[in-house]
Amino acid sequence: MMGEKVLLARVGRADSRSIGTYVADGGYKALRTVLTGGWTPEKLTDEVKKSGLRGRGGAGFPTGVKWTFVPKDNKGKPVYLLCNADESEPGTFKDRLLMEEDPHQVIEGIILSSFAIKCRSAYIYIRGEFYLGARILNKAIEEAYAKGFLGENILGSGYALDLTVHRGAGAYICGEETGLIESLEGKRGQPRIKPPFPAVWGVFGAPTIVNNVETLACVVHIVNRGAEWFAKIGRNEKNSGPKLYCLSGAVNRPGVYEAPMGLQMKELLFGADFGQGMKGGKKVKAVIPGGASAAMLTAEEIEDCPLDFDGLVAKKSMLGSAAIVVMNEDTCIVEAAQNLSKFFAHESCGQCTPCREGTPWLHKVLTRIEEGRGRLEDIDLLERISNQMANGMTICVFADAAIAPVLSSVGKFRDEFRYHVENKRCLVGPRSDDARPSTLNPQLVAS
Amino acid sequence: MSHRRYNLEESGRPAEFPADARARIDRILTRYPTKQAALLPVLWVAQETWGWISKEAAEEVAKILDLSPAHVDGVLTFYTMYNLRPVGKNLLQFCTSISCHLAGAERLMDRCAKRLGIGLEETTPDGKFTIVEVECIAGCDKAPSMMVNDTYYEPMDERKLDALVEKLSADA
Amino acid sequence: MSDNKPPITPGGGGAIPGPAAGAAPPSPPPPPPKDTFTVLFDGKPIEVPKHVNLIEAAKLAGIEIPHFCFHPRLSVVGQCRMCLVEIEGIPKIQAACTTPLKEGLSVKTTTEKVVQSRAANMEFLLINHPLDCPICDQAGECKLQDNSFGYGDQRSRYDEKKRQYAGFDRTLIGPHVIADMTRCIQCTRCIRFCQEIAGTGELTFLDRGGRTLVWTHDGKPLSNDWSACAADVCPVGALTTREFRFRSRVWYLEKTKSVCPGCNIGCNISIENRDFTVYRFLPRLNPAVNDYWLCDYGRFLSESLNLCEVEKATAREGDSVSELHVPAAVQKIAASIRGASPSDVFFLGSAHLSNEENFLLRKIADQIGCANRDAVVDRSRARKMKSKSEWIEGDHAGANFAGAKDMGMSPGAGGYGLEEVLSGKAKPAVIVAADAAFSQIADDPEKVAVLRRAKFLAVAARTANALTRAADVLLPASSLAEKEGTFTNVQGRVQKFERAFLPRPPARAHWELLLLLAVALGFGDRDWTPQDLRRQIQAEVEGYDEVTEEELSGGILMKKGTFVSVGAI
Repeated sequence: MMGEKVLLARVGRADSRSIGTYVADGGYKALRTVLTGGWTPEKLTDEVKKSGLRGRGGAGFPTGVKWTFVPKDNKGKPVYLLCNADESEPGTFKDRLLMEEDPHQVIEGIILSSFAIKCRSAYIYIRGEFYLGARILNKAIEEAYAKGFLGENILGSGYALDLTVHRGAGAYICGEETGLIESLEGKRGQPRIKPPFPAVWGVFGAPTIVNNVETLACVVHIVNRGAEWFAKIGRNEKNSGPKLYCLSGAVNRPGVYEAPMGLQMKELLFGADFGQGMKGGKKVKAVIPGGASAAMLTAEEIEDCPLDFDGLVAKKSMLGSAAIVVMNEDTCIVEAAQNLSKFFAHESCGQCTPCREGTPWLHKVLTRIEEGRGRLEDIDLLERISNQMANGMTICVFADAAIAPVLSSVGKFRDEFRYHVENKRCLVGPRSDDARPSTLNPQLVAS
Repeated sequence: MSHRRYNLEESGRPAEFPADARARIDRILTRYPTKQAALLPVLWVAQETWGWISKEAAEEVAKILDLSPAHVDGVLTFYTMYNLRPVGKNLLQFCTSISCHLAGAERLMDRCAKRLGIGLEETTPDGKFTIVEVECIAGCDKAPSMMVNDTYYEPMDERKLDALVEKLSADA
Repeated sequence: MSDNKPPITPGGGGAIPGPAAGAAPPSPPPPPPKDTFTVLFDGKPIEVPKHVNLIEAAKLAGIEIPHFCFHPRLSVVGQCRMCLVEIEGIPKIQAACTTPLKEGLSVKTTTEKVVQSRAANMEFLLINHPLDCPICDQAGECKLQDNSFGYGDQRSRYDEKKRQYAGFDRTLIGPHVIADMTRCIQCTRCIRFCQEIAGTGELTFLDRGGRTLVWTHDGKPLSNDWSACAADVCPVGALTTREFRFRSRVWYLEKTKSVCPGCNIGCNISIENRDFTVYRFLPRLNPAVNDYWLCDYGRFLSESLNLCEVEKATAREGDSVSELHVPAAVQKIAASIRGASPSDVFFLGSAHLSNEENFLLRKIADQIGCANRDAVVDRSRARKMKSKSEWIEGDHAGANFAGAKDMGMSPGAGGYGLEEVLSGKAKPAVIVAADAAFSQIADDPEKVAVLRRAKFLAVAARTANALTRAADVLLPASSLAEKEGTFTNVQGRVQKFERAFLPRPPARAHWELLLLLAVALGFGDRDWTPQDLRRQIQAEVEGYDEVTEEELSGGILMKKGTFVSVGAI
């Protein structure tokens, strides 16, 4: 199973976007199996549960189990499936690839999953920057309607589904499922209080399931090849299936790589089929394993580090969106932390106090340290601010994400921070004279 | 991007959607159970029609969707991709999140800004270029990644950027 | 702030369905459902009504859970994060306001985690908050100050530049409200008030993250009929009223329970006063009438109570007007009444006067055998007020037309009213107008000229108008703030207002002037108080038999359970 491409099977092929290519390759067979093969929504849900599929958007929640949270008797309210294509976690670019290169795989996954939860109207919430992805999806949806895979009475089964592409407009927080729901309702994308959970009370007040693009694509293959097949791929039952990994940073060959869940970190970085080692032969200094929201790992910690949900929890980090960002020995960790804090300060929705005030504060302190105006107390201050922002202090876990890079960088590279403060410059890395030390326009630091 | 999104500007003209845009809006309205849910797509239609969203446009959208203008303002200013002012013909969007940062994105952006003689969020006097800083646009494996209007250019470097700017400058 | 918000249901609604229960042994029949839950606060159980918020339930238990964004009448948003508590069985701290009540819920408000979360939250709120207390009107009634003292740390560890909102501070955003966004803590109470109560939605968040602020759509000011309520609900000095700006420190103000004189809805107000001056009206909670709210029109009548244009009693001799003592002036009025036949005297009450005052005027008329009495009220534009459960409407430009009519200020058998006088059909020799501000009629020169045809025109007033200038005897009267009494509102509810301060001599309350007149005419007791008058009303006026002092403390309906008000229209 090592080398077989399941999710990326058609990527790179000529005309991979067209429905003709997809169907010729066995596409929409799963849909036929389910809709005309007498499957019930419950049977499909059970298969997905048995497969062990866990959400590939960042939270890693078991998908089949999530589907069962839709109330059996939802009092006549419609059920909605929302495909979360808001991919905005720094370091992540797998959903973009899937949508741009193989849109029908995603669409078929959406139709199947909609059937499983008895949804008649589904939306793809795609980030505004993916203009091309939206165009490609819209064209593919048109093709699917034309071929009768969407719309009324699909494949004569009586099941009907409408699918609409809904474009976001620049807000990372709309990747949070309730932020997405609020945005789809035409409001500011401010996450909601949970409970109630979307499965009970979601978009337009109706039961809603939000699933990631890659998760939905997996459903196609679970149907085609069976839950058992899916469950056997990967390190163990709780971490199963094929996985897309996004590799970027100081490696020779950044890119999206498919491998069974649980690929070793070092294999991803150094393997001939993957990253092919560090650019310029430099040494690894730190690796972010799961997007900006994941605690960074040191070079020692990536020895024997399986890239799956439980493997990274064991390392006190997380798989998240499987975005692996590699930093080499020339990287100033303080600067990296400052850059990450800028992201979170920009993307905080602002509704609750600890995050709204804490994220800019963290960024300001890190900026001061980076610019040579730090104090030794600032290092403890960073930890203190972080610790009082998370663990229930906020409405959503954005704050918990924002503090991960701060706590992990300060915790694991404290000496570097101290050096920065005491010497008013970076410990490592060539800093040319015209290099701007801060990533923020200086006018704006004051605000 | 760090710049504050507080004020709508007046265009000085009433905002009337042309017929084809109006038709698009009508189609959009059929895809949602509430008018309010169509707000983001309709704002995109407005931006595609005028290039930016003026105070008049915001009020017109509010009218069409039965929303208060304040609600429309709240949405408009929350999402960074809606232009609250006219932008240059080429909106140069430089990603400066972690992977692109590691690849020198800010240096590239600053150099470009210096050469064009403008600061961030500013437009060149000839109206051809506006530079903005954006967060991760999912081009991390081809860092530094950037967009010009709706098109990705990645990976970018000084030479390619100079050539691109020259070409776009020459375009009418 | 969703518009299609979920019910925060009691009973833990919305939780993930749990596993199916196994077979259970036969059990006794369940007890009848009660309408309360048993909730434990720091170990102590208390019965609380099912449909209150946890913060309100804590208050019933005598426990304060600090908060900013929660308001009993606005949707729950859980944004300020000040109300975090520990709930038994849940590892992370939870916002109290978003935790549904259920039987056996156990809340801990004094643990280390809770104490630290409150201090942390206060620190976050204060790092960008300007040190404006010395110049901020909110000081003394500021939740940020209160919660900082109660739950925050003394030191600040913030060493960066504070966020500012140049161009969005110290700016009028409506006819009455000044916004200063530098002070805002983004609780969204004002936004929710405008959306959910006023229904006008003028306010919104702009931008996001640490740059968030509240503002209007440019060109659409905050101008709904209750706009100053947004400043009421604002827990800090981000929204304040223009009329009160810099006028007084709030801790110097006395609070007097009163009723708004603006219309017949009779919103309950607090007259905030000091040194014989009214500084402002604030709404006083009454869920049956105005709940937490007060309309701008009524609220800003406060300043008019300070107006005093008739300071002394005067009497006219030919063309000259001379001052005299009030008792002497009253004697003149009594003399002219005695000198005329009862059918030639006309008594005019007012919708601005209390039940006690209209009652006393009616009694005077009865005592001399005069059936010519009346009271009129101007119509105003339609006014609306949101009580807890419904909207109440009023359209009188005076608070007590219903009461005036109930007290009998209408023509008696064989008597005439104001209409006949103005049309010329009736020609009284003596007119006693107990309140010169009774209607716009009193400022209409033509109509006043008709009234002037009487041989003797006696008027009591505080403000000057055509009628006061035409009077033969003018008595100086005092304002609503300077007397106690009752009004009867559009619902038939009798509501008591109290005296904030004594009148400035020689001016007196209208009822005091009328009592002097009664005694001068030979009846009544000069020691009568408004309370005595109310006892007489209770005994003599139909439908007011249940208006006792105890009942008045809550504001009651005249007849329990039914609306029967002789004069209510």
